Amino acid sequence: MNRRERMRSFFTVPVLLSVAFLLAVLLVSVFAEQLAPHDPDTLDPASVLAAPSAEHPLGTDPSGRDLLSRLIFGARSTMLSAFLVVLISAAAGIPLGMLAGYRRGILDKVLMRLCDAVLSFPSLLLAFVLVAAFGRGIGNVVLSLGILYVPMLAKLTRSLVLVESGKLYVEAAHATGFGGAHILLREILPNIFSTLLIQLMLDVGYAILDLSAMNFIGLGVQPPTADWGAMLQSARIHVKNAPLVALSPGILIVLTVVAFNILGDGISAYLDPAQRKLPSIKRFKKALLRRDPDADPGSKVLPRTRKAGEEAAHE
Amino acid sequence: MVIFLLVRLGDVDPVSVVLGGKQSSPQTIENVRREFGLDKSIPEQYINWVKGLLHGEFGKSFKYRQESGQIIFARLPVTLSIVTIAALIAILLSIPAGILMAAKQHKWQDTGISVVQLILVACPPFLTATLMVWMLYLFSPQTAFTGSPRTFSELMERTFLPGVAMSFVMIALLSRIMKSGMTAELKSDYFLAAKAKGLSTAAVMRRHCLRNAIIPVITSLGMMIGILLVESVLVEEVFSLNGLGVALVEAVGASDYPLVQGITMFMVFVFMTISTLLDLLYGVIDPRIRKGKAI
Repeated sequence: MNRRERMRSFFTVPVLLSVAFLLAVLLVSVFAEQLAPHDPDTLDPASVLAAPSAEHPLGTDPSGRDLLSRLIFGARSTMLSAFLVVLISAAAGIPLGMLAGYRRGILDKVLMRLCDAVLSFPSLLLAFVLVAAFGRGIGNVVLSLGILYVPMLAKLTRSLVLVESGKLYVEAAHATGFGGAHILLREILPNIFSTLLIQLMLDVGYAILDLSAMNFIGLGVQPPTADWGAMLQSARIHVKNAPLVALSPGILIVLTVVAFNILGDGISAYLDPAQRKLPSIKRFKKALLRRDPDADPGSKVLPRTRKAGEEAAHE
Repeated sequence: MVIFLLVRLGDVDPVSVVLGGKQSSPQTIENVRREFGLDKSIPEQYINWVKGLLHGEFGKSFKYRQESGQIIFARLPVTLSIVTIAALIAILLSIPAGILMAAKQHKWQDTGISVVQLILVACPPFLTATLMVWMLYLFSPQTAFTGSPRTFSELMERTFLPGVAMSFVMIALLSRIMKSGMTAELKSDYFLAAKAKGLSTAAVMRRHCLRNAIIPVITSLGMMIGILLVESVLVEEVFSLNGLGVALVEAVGASDYPLVQGITMFMVFVFMTISTLLDLLYGVIDPRIRKGKAI
């Protein structure tokens, strides 16, 4: 597959749709205050489970709160905590995995045994135990899940580092006299980064699912806070009279997770080991500069680079 | 060694529990502490707990003032039946689906199932369960499914839909594994050899490839049963069933640490037993493992 085909296979309709959807969710959660028509926590006993109207575009929930506003603020809560979970796991898992894979020895053995021990349990069970130890609340849930996501990421990082360490460029860096830190951060990390990025992307999806499960059973966010999982829980008994109120948070969860998965799959299909490069601003600029080589007959741009320019223009 | 780790993790808890019971007079606190053995040092408590485990006692619940074991066994049937139903459905559906995908790779059957997989994998069980409750209401509103089941047929009736709801994610994951296993087997040399011998593709897949391709499915089945055991709480909630998962979550919420420890230990025990049984199954399926030093 040449680059043009790869680009085309990356920008398929599902990938574009999921990118658009995720961007929309992100924007909505960033600008929640500006976009939400009402305060998400204001109770209105006069209009409980109201049908959609001009004032409440999607109706109200069992406590008379505006559903649309709650969905918008729920997006913020869900996305923020999911990103935090992944951030915690990345901050611990990637360095640990890199060290284990590069230094080997006892550190590696101990770390990997620990990871195997954690991974051999259902993650939700450990999450329960950790929440029991830390106490309930969204902060503790995020922390627990963040810790539980570390082993997987550490193992993946380690195996990637192991593969890369055997390659010629690492040996060359050694011969040049660079230290371990330089080799790990400047040589190996850039090469494994894209694979890690895919994993992080998928992890955000899993984190959304796990978080919504924790919020659903009430161990995470506490009542007034709007969160998709918690909203589904509080509205589910009313599914008979108000299916929209009960099901809309769930549908949003599914859509978001599907979008993250499609995006992850799309990127991994785009990246093959020979060409681990994401579309970057630098390459986009380069492409802009070379966009019209035919206009200049004296151009010395080779046909191959010209093609590359055209493809990059698709970006 | 793995159990050890978890026990240590769980054993930190009784310290904070003492704080939880501090609304009453010092005398009551003293009595309560003696009743649950909290007046002893933590290593002593730990030893007592392990001793209890060996006698089949999981520790006394704070909230119910009752042996955790009794609570566990009272609530076990519901959860066990949900998990069994979910696992059976998942096996029955995902293996044929995976084989079909491998056989018809890149055809519409493959694409269709993979779209379904993508959606199923993202469906949290509590959403599917809520959807089912809604459907049930729309199509047969008189069905009652609350209250705890007494007879076996009642149990099956009440836990069938929760089981189906739980099975969805599992179907998606298992059929994906089955597909990739089968696809790899179809590229193997022995597949070509068997074809050259004149066997039909279907016969080779059934007789030769299936055994090899199913091994990774069994591996992940063990893991997934553990996940189901824990996640069954999500559908138990929706269908208002009093299962083990609900008990665990309530115990976590109420800081009932002995019960949390008890249920966790029990789940780990069940989970490990199942994994061991599945490990033994490898030998039955693959003669090479039986003869070799594996397991």
